[in-house]
Amino acid sequence: MSPRQRKVLEFVLDNLVWFMLLVVLAIFSATIPNYFQPGIFANVIEQSSVLGVMSIGLALVIIAGHMDLSVESVAALSAMATGILFASSGIGLGITLTPGWLVVPVSLVIGLAVGAVIGALNGYLVIKIKMNAFIVTLSSYIWVRGLVVASSGGRSAQNLAPDLRFLGIQRFLGIPLTAYIAILCFVGFSFMMAKTRFGRHLIMIGGNEAAAFRAGIKVDKVLMIAFVLSGAIAALAGWILAIRTSGATANLGTGLLFNAFAAVVIGGVSLKGGVGALPGVYAGVLLLSSINTAINLMGLPAHYTQVIHGLLVLAAVLLDTLKQTIRKRLA
Amino acid sequence: MTEPLLVLDNITKNYGAVQALQGVSFSIAKGEVIALLGDNGAGKSTLVKIISGGLEASSGSMTFEGKEFRPKSPSQAKAAGIETVYQDLSLCTNVDVVANFFMGRELTKSMLGIKVLDEKRMEEQVAKAMANAGTRIPSLRSKVEHLSGGQRQAIELNRFVHWGGKLVLLDEPFAALGVEQTKRGLEMIRQVAAQGIGVVIITHIMQQAFQVADRMVVIRQGVVAGDVPRKQTNADAVIGMITGETLAGTGPGMGAGQ
Repeated sequence: MSPRQRKVLEFVLDNLVWFMLLVVLAIFSATIPNYFQPGIFANVIEQSSVLGVMSIGLALVIIAGHMDLSVESVAALSAMATGILFASSGIGLGITLTPGWLVVPVSLVIGLAVGAVIGALNGYLVIKIKMNAFIVTLSSYIWVRGLVVASSGGRSAQNLAPDLRFLGIQRFLGIPLTAYIAILCFVGFSFMMAKTRFGRHLIMIGGNEAAAFRAGIKVDKVLMIAFVLSGAIAALAGWILAIRTSGATANLGTGLLFNAFAAVVIGGVSLKGGVGALPGVYAGVLLLSSINTAINLMGLPAHYTQVIHGLLVLAAVLLDTLKQTIRKRLA
Repeated sequence: MTEPLLVLDNITKNYGAVQALQGVSFSIAKGEVIALLGDNGAGKSTLVKIISGGLEASSGSMTFEGKEFRPKSPSQAKAAGIETVYQDLSLCTNVDVVANFFMGRELTKSMLGIKVLDEKRMEEQVAKAMANAGTRIPSLRSKVEHLSGGQRQAIELNRFVHWGGKLVLLDEPFAALGVEQTKRGLEMIRQVAAQGIGVVIITHIMQQAFQVADRMVVIRQGVVAGDVPRKQTNADAVIGMITGETLAGTGPGMGAGQ
């Protein structure tokens, strides 16, 4: 194989999920009536915002060779905190600040702090106490959701402060501001992973933790930051979710964890760690949400989405194995 | 070769009831090459890890450049100027050659106040280092997982030559290298030592030890069983010390090599 062909093939393999997204969109546009229109694509992007943000945090921890199952519950807790404090109906306390816009930074900081604290706790147990990340974050997944249910008494908060709602309603180029937050997150964190020392260290720790440690990288510190980031980013996803639904319910966001996993795996992140990039994860999220949109448009019962997501994850892992085989042959 | 660079005094290491090191003492001078020899399980790798900060000694003391030295992590040892090349490769195979070369010491440039990896400058330096050492790797941007064992080891060797420091520890550095590359590797070690850097090399191959080392230190069952200048000993005598046929520390074969 000529070096040129090889380069093309490697490029295709590295960006496979983007090609998949294009193919899927092309097929849907050609076969499903009314799919091909700006409004649909805007909807796909809009639908991706919460899942997209959550997937970033999960991807960071998985790339570093660990696991964070708590992201869904952390998002729910952050949403519930925002709902209880700043929604006016149901269990909402309806706190108002002057000037009114102050609610945006205040609720965001509270949410992020909640997420960062849980992330730090996860990180501490995994890194310092050396407990298994799967078990630690599974436990957080359970108790944090328990906290959501307990703090709300199983009830919901509605009518979020209008200044917060503004972010979910106001559109720019047909897309709500919340979706831009997700896109900004992807751009920012992709940059961090590809261009900064921290991102480079995270990838190397995921590849060979012992080698990174021997090379003098402060592995514990880097991993701790990854867990805290994962928690805080999940909380950001929850904050956006609260804005989109104008409040919070006790079971808000259930099932998001598995979608986030699907997006991360479809996006080309290896569960073994060290492999994957965030732009691919965004493509994975867009792929999931364009399939959801297609199912809605075709009028299929929504229950089928779950079946399709499951099969898609399987296909993604299969594809990953296939990619590895091709790569080995290339080398 | 008079000024001692690193002095080990009665270093011990216990793993529970097992005593891996039972009091090791020797010293390394600047620009000196020491071959650390011993049978499997004699405690050589443990000793290297203690010097390089990967393990902490149970008791005993070390002096590096005249100062008390007790590294708690590889980054501390590295900061003091100690480079280590480990037996099992210490590369991250999921990133490219350049990233591995600069692992933990990435060059950055400032972009709008943010420190960004300076890939161009790093690649230039790696290319230069590789060219100097005569190592040829198809692309510095290919991931290490796509490279052969020999190429990987060459990267590690070039890395230590490039960073230098004050003391270099090499744990079986030539295990995956071919004849020609090994020869070049041994030359590299002499070059490094000529710059006044101390070198400790662990090897199983007697011939390599005699080619490169100024002094042979033999570890047997966790203690120094022999510490002799190369010129005053020969391979048979050293093997005797390794297996325990000759008495410890007596410098057997005095004059035999002269």
